[in-house]
Amino acid sequence: MDIIQENCGYCGTCVCVCPENVIELEENGLIIKDRCTECGNCAIVCPLGALNPEG
Amino acid sequence: MKKLKYDVIVVGGRIGGSTASLFASKSDVDVLMIEKRQEIGSPVQCAEGVTYGAFETLEIEPSERYVRTRVKGAHIHAPDGRRISYEGGIAQGLIIDRKIFDKELAIESAKAGTDIMLKTSVKDLIIKDHKVCGVVAKHLGKTIEIHSDVVIGADGVESNMARYAGIEAYRDPKNIASCAQYELVGIDVDPEYLEFYFGSKIAPKGYLWIFPKGDGVANVGLGIRGTVDNAIDYLNRYVSKLDATPVELNIGGVPVSGPIEKTYTDGFLVVGDAAGQVDPITGGGIHTTISCARIAGEVAAESVKMEDSSAQFLKNYESKWRQDIGKTLDNSVKYRKMADKLNDKDMNALAEFIETQDIEAISKISVLKFVGKHPNLMKILTEIL
Repeated sequence: MDIIQENCGYCGTCVCVCPENVIELEENGLIIKDRCTECGNCAIVCPLGALNPEG
Repeated sequence: MKKLKYDVIVVGGRIGGSTASLFASKSDVDVLMIEKRQEIGSPVQCAEGVTYGAFETLEIEPSERYVRTRVKGAHIHAPDGRRISYEGGIAQGLIIDRKIFDKELAIESAKAGTDIMLKTSVKDLIIKDHKVCGVVAKHLGKTIEIHSDVVIGADGVESNMARYAGIEAYRDPKNIASCAQYELVGIDVDPEYLEFYFGSKIAPKGYLWIFPKGDGVANVGLGIRGTVDNAIDYLNRYVSKLDATPVELNIGGVPVSGPIEKTYTDGFLVVGDAAGQVDPITGGGIHTTISCARIAGEVAAESVKMEDSSAQFLKNYESKWRQDIGKTLDNSVKYRKMADKLNDKDMNALAEFIETQDIEAISKISVLKFVGKHPNLMKILTEIL
């Protein structure tokens, strides 16, 4: 999963749909820890298109 | 210097957190509320409409400091432009400034005795013998352990607390409305009416709202589900047709699944968006959260006094809030699932039917006649009933 940090609005919606619980919303941006399975859930719910599954 | 042991810790300082901490403090127990941001009430993640009933539950008079307008009804727009007007009921209420309201509520809670920590994020729960008994918090690079008899998770849709406590898994994106909203200036709307627009072009599996804030200012936002385009793309397409200027952009996710299965465990309660205490049809969650968070605060305080914060005792919270709004939310989930199946043509037909009826006196026969002419609606109705 590719993160486009400048699009992120820090709403945290991606966090709640992650089945692996690997998304963390830090003060300086989103972090995806290494176990991402590329399920794409976060990209579906992101209001601002900050997550790109093709990455 | 804050203490390292409290009776009750509330994680999250928005409406759910402040209501829970307010009523726990009112019941004379030691309460700490932890907010991860440095400012309470910001950023706004809400259309800012609230019912009068919410204030009754809070036992607070709505204040002119945050009340922007009072609305008496709603205009509902079908995909083909047909408009239905509705007055009273859930369409009646106040449009508020959440930034000011949330802060005022935190002030009320602080006045009742709640300690508050800002810019402090909770990294984990302290769990001993399967019981939640505190939090691991981080403030300005320093990690602190704070113990408590009960922890209340009021940390929003992105809730980690319920996961840490082991009572919630991740959510299906089908049950999360992805939302974006502008506060727009220079918009010509009726200040006494909410506007709702439906249709697959405007807001698939959701709707677009316009909530007037008076003086040509309004919140214009939408919630959608399961689309390739993002909420902001749909919103920008709509807003580009208006000659209005944004002064704020709000984004967020709204859980429309109905409540999570279990909202308590040993030493732990969860409230608000984190517990899915949101009306799945409207996406409105202020009044539901306030009702549930008040109960959570009171039950938590009682458990401290009874020296019993076991799941068995804290179950009282769940029975009480379910008794209060459980049935309404369950019905709303059912209706939402039905609404999910409606296409634009069905919605237009429904709007046409309602337009020609006296809402208060729709007869079963007229409904049957109408549904008989629309096989898709008949199919949906039969599946649901």
